[in-house]
Amino acid sequence: MRMALKALLGVAALALSASPALADPAAGKKTFTAKGCGDCHYTDGPAKEKTIADQLTKKGPELWYAGSKFQKKWLGAWLEDPKPIRPMKFNSLTEKNPGDHPKLAGGDAKNVNEFLMSLVSKDVKAGVIKPKKAAKGRLIFTKKMPCTGCHQYPAKKRAKYKGGNSGPTLVGAGKRLNPDWIYAYLKTPKIFKPVKSMPVFAGILKDKDMKNVAQFVATFK
Amino acid sequence: MMKSANAILAGLTLLGLASWVQAGALAADAETTFKFYCAQCHGLGGKGDGPNVTKNFPVSPRNFTNAKEMNKLSDADIKNVVLDGGPAASKSPMMPPWGKTLTGPQVDGLVKHLRKLCKCKGKQG
Repeated sequence: MRMALKALLGVAALALSASPALADPAAGKKTFTAKGCGDCHYTDGPAKEKTIADQLTKKGPELWYAGSKFQKKWLGAWLEDPKPIRPMKFNSLTEKNPGDHPKLAGGDAKNVNEFLMSLVSKDVKAGVIKPKKAAKGRLIFTKKMPCTGCHQYPAKKRAKYKGGNSGPTLVGAGKRLNPDWIYAYLKTPKIFKPVKSMPVFAGILKDKDMKNVAQFVATFK
Repeated sequence: MMKSANAILAGLTLLGLASWVQAGALAADAETTFKFYCAQCHGLGGKGDGPNVTKNFPVSPRNFTNAKEMNKLSDADIKNVVLDGGPAASKSPMMPPWGKTLTGPQVDGLVKHLRKLCKCKGKQG
């Protein structure tokens, strides 16, 4: 009996020592600072931009609500191997995105992911939106409102995607974005982005329709 | 008497200068507003050639430098479309409703900026 217990403890100790170190948000914050990520992304909310000039001064998107906006699995993988999200360079209408976002090595990416996921907004309520191919959401997104004018989205037929270039792509939005954030952003956009080149749809779309659009966008592969 | 006349003249000059500077600032603001919101589709120079306009774009955004076309619209027509979107003028929903985004002065500034681009006064009355 004693032998069996010892063997069991030995196996457990071995398993523990072989498992990778737990990701640490404090270490992630240190890495974020040390690597200069804060030069382009601010992480202390609330939103600071008040004018168009403020927005144009920014070199990259704000991340103070990253934990409410992104899906953890996607963010971890993206930090290790970042692919352009915007077809155009941030804040530019003339230059294409050069796709030169710095990469983080595995351990650093895990810690930074942990740090960014700890940055949440109280204005994003959890569990409100579930991905759903709602016909109403599709109709609003593709026909009634101009969403596709600025955002790429998955196409059904031969082309991989359709849509415009000035906004972030929504191809893969179902893996990248938290569905509840999509709705919160449509409903109270100024909390997250007080100055942005996307129209405010709150007050134009009914609350139910903003939910329909969020459900639909959350299905994008 | 002469002194007070001079003072009044100086005052008026300053007032004129201030309103000229203010008008200049508003025009600059209108251009900034245009480039930030409208140029995505209408292009930085307003020719309808923004980065969203690829071969798959379903409509041709208006070329604001086309005086002939722009003269068919009154300032009120332009304002309505900016505020309520393309469908307000039986045009495409690709033109967004900006009524909940832009302030009144921003919209008025945009109308003036478009008139500057088309070098036209538009339909009167």
